[in-house]
Amino acid sequence: MAGGSDVAEATALSCVQCGKPAHLQCPKCMELKLPREGAAFCTQDCFKACWSSHKSVHVKAKLSSLGTGSTGEQDLGVLNEGWQYCLRRGQSRTPKLPHFDWTGKLRPYPISPMRVVPSHIDQPDWAVDGIPKIEPNSELQRVVEIKTPDQIQRMRETCKIAREALDAAARVIRPGVTTDEIDRVVHEATIAADSGYIGVTSCFSYDLLKLVYLFIEIRDGDIVNVDVTVYYKGVHGDLNETYFVGNVDEASLQLVQCTYECLEKAISIVKPGVRFREIGEVINRHATMSGLSVVKSYCGHGIGELFHCAPNIPHYGRSKAVGVMKAGQTFTIEPMINAGVWRDRMWPDGWTAVTTDGKRSAQFEHTLLVTETGVEVLTARLPSSPSVFPWLNA
Amino acid sequence: MEKEVDDPPVAVEIDQTGQQSYYHSQSDSKRPQTDDVSVGVTVITGYLGAGKSTLVNHILNSQHGKRIAVILNEFGEEIGVERAMINEGEGGALVEEWVELANGCICCTVKHSLVQALEQLVLMKESRLDHIIIETTGLANPAPLASVLWLDDQLESSVKLDSIITVVDAKNLPFQLNKHRDSSSFPEAFLQIAFADVVILNKVDLVSSEILEELEKEIHNTNSLANIIHSVRCEVDLSKILNCQAYDATHATHLEALLEESKSLSTRHLHDGGVRTVCICDSQQVDLDKVRLWLEEILWDKKDGMDVYRCKGILRVQNSDELHTLQAVREIYDIVPARKWEGSENQMNKIVFIGHNLNEDVLLDSFRGCALTT
Repeated sequence: MAGGSDVAEATALSCVQCGKPAHLQCPKCMELKLPREGAAFCTQDCFKACWSSHKSVHVKAKLSSLGTGSTGEQDLGVLNEGWQYCLRRGQSRTPKLPHFDWTGKLRPYPISPMRVVPSHIDQPDWAVDGIPKIEPNSELQRVVEIKTPDQIQRMRETCKIAREALDAAARVIRPGVTTDEIDRVVHEATIAADSGYIGVTSCFSYDLLKLVYLFIEIRDGDIVNVDVTVYYKGVHGDLNETYFVGNVDEASLQLVQCTYECLEKAISIVKPGVRFREIGEVINRHATMSGLSVVKSYCGHGIGELFHCAPNIPHYGRSKAVGVMKAGQTFTIEPMINAGVWRDRMWPDGWTAVTTDGKRSAQFEHTLLVTETGVEVLTARLPSSPSVFPWLNA
Repeated sequence: MEKEVDDPPVAVEIDQTGQQSYYHSQSDSKRPQTDDVSVGVTVITGYLGAGKSTLVNHILNSQHGKRIAVILNEFGEEIGVERAMINEGEGGALVEEWVELANGCICCTVKHSLVQALEQLVLMKESRLDHIIIETTGLANPAPLASVLWLDDQLESSVKLDSIITVVDAKNLPFQLNKHRDSSSFPEAFLQIAFADVVILNKVDLVSSEILEELEKEIHNTNSLANIIHSVRCEVDLSKILNCQAYDATHATHLEALLEESKSLSTRHLHDGGVRTVCICDSQQVDLDKVRLWLEEILWDKKDGMDVYRCKGILRVQNSDELHTLQAVREIYDIVPARKWEGSENQMNKIVFIGHNLNEDVLLDSFRGCALTT
């Protein structure tokens, strides 16, 4: 990487506030021997600008060094032992912040140990370490399954539970709430339904596309996405929505609404005989027309007994996606739309994807069933779903 | 608890001694952007002992001044790569460097983990990589690999599939092909030849010219589009095997030359129903929507039990002054405009199928249905 003893090269550390090369660090962090990477700044001004949110790191570090547990409030497990930075999609942890040239403002924080799912609840084979065993080699990666009536009924139930769990999360979204709290709410909602929600919370804010295991406190003006996948009666249900936190700017409002519309329009063309690649055409058209871009790295996917299987559904246009829709197929459509450029990059944790230009991104997802005449949105909003989207309130 | 202060203390200068960084990925800004051309990937297949390793060594050792990375991989059930050996072949000196590639997230990603690993490889190298070679062992059928590597242009990937090269052993090939006569399944050799863009017929010094002629015919019967190169110890001209651009839709000239060469590329009927090549021609302008439906019925629905492995062609499209190219590997296909027809050219549709159970009449008759009704 950087040449041998070239210590003057400042690209080793980036300013937490603005991303420029950093030469200064927080003296408090030094004193507490906290990771330098989370406390590097280019100027005193950036340090000052960051101070109000940065200083909480000292508080937590001090309390954790005392070895005490929670003071009874929503300290959210930060104070417990075992919080480390995630690497390799959760396969390993490291006590130090990994080196990376971060875009935008967000940085990873150590993550809590995994939440426990009660043993009476069925889990898919990937629940333990995040690595699916059956899925990669299954024939269902090549051939799109036509679900039996029994499978369809189970998926309806699973998707309803997933919808209710997501709605539970939506209800707690407000400034000051942390992602860990959201994770807990969803976890408890699904356990209550005797189903498993196995650790896939992703929260969008600022520039992030997909985060997992991230501890951040959401703030007024943020947009946040929560993605819930539920495993129940042997099948998966998957959906996500992007929410507003407090008062967001006009651009974010439009970004989120446009993304919602992209998904809506894509769903409207689903019926037997339609090519899968048509979905990407519809999404791309609507996003581009609104001056936004479509993320190309991630796609919709078949779902059922396996979490991800055929078909692969790109959200961009002019793809070589294979196949046409047939009644009985179930799959997700989950466009990620960016305010800036379409390109994304991966964090050292092997999971978090971010926009390369640090601008915002939004996403919506549904699990769908192709019917004889059209489509059934298995994860559709319920009458009880909270009213969180202004354009639906008309 | 510490009393909250509104103003931060004065930040201190960072002491830059021995910062231990966890190296995981290199930033985009560090990679010299010499140009935006993506790095070609060549897949080399062939039986053990045919000469794959010899070919790879020849490529690396020749004085060509190119920086080539070789991926050695045992493909079993899964296609993946965890380690890459980078051989720098410059000035004859081989620098071997094992690089560990972290596997990215595999779920709901458009790019297969192999592609992500290759892109990471390109990013990692401080100075430009000119080419990537994937040497396969134990890969009977290169089709899944081709499918994974043949990316959508939209993805603007830093890597792209350049060609599939099969090395066959002139001495052993007859034996390998004859195995088919006794069993109900194809020997791997047929599949590897069917998907190849280039076939290197190696060890020609070990067999007679009569046998060589027979072998050429056999290879040609299976895949009349492949470029057959004779070699001894795999000493081939690199310009013929690197930068083939075999999957580049706009690289039409190579395709046209192939299609022009033979009057008829259709090969003889094999009574044992082996792999063969069928070529159909028609001069009428075609409706692109109908062509897509026609092709999908063949590739996706296995019309009439025909099993197509590869397909290449040029199309004369209605309401367009552009020659369109058609390319397919198993179910994945692409039709794109390549260039304007030249005034003097005889505008034609010419499509070649390589596969099993192909019916030339059915293919031609059904294709004619794509033309405008006059």
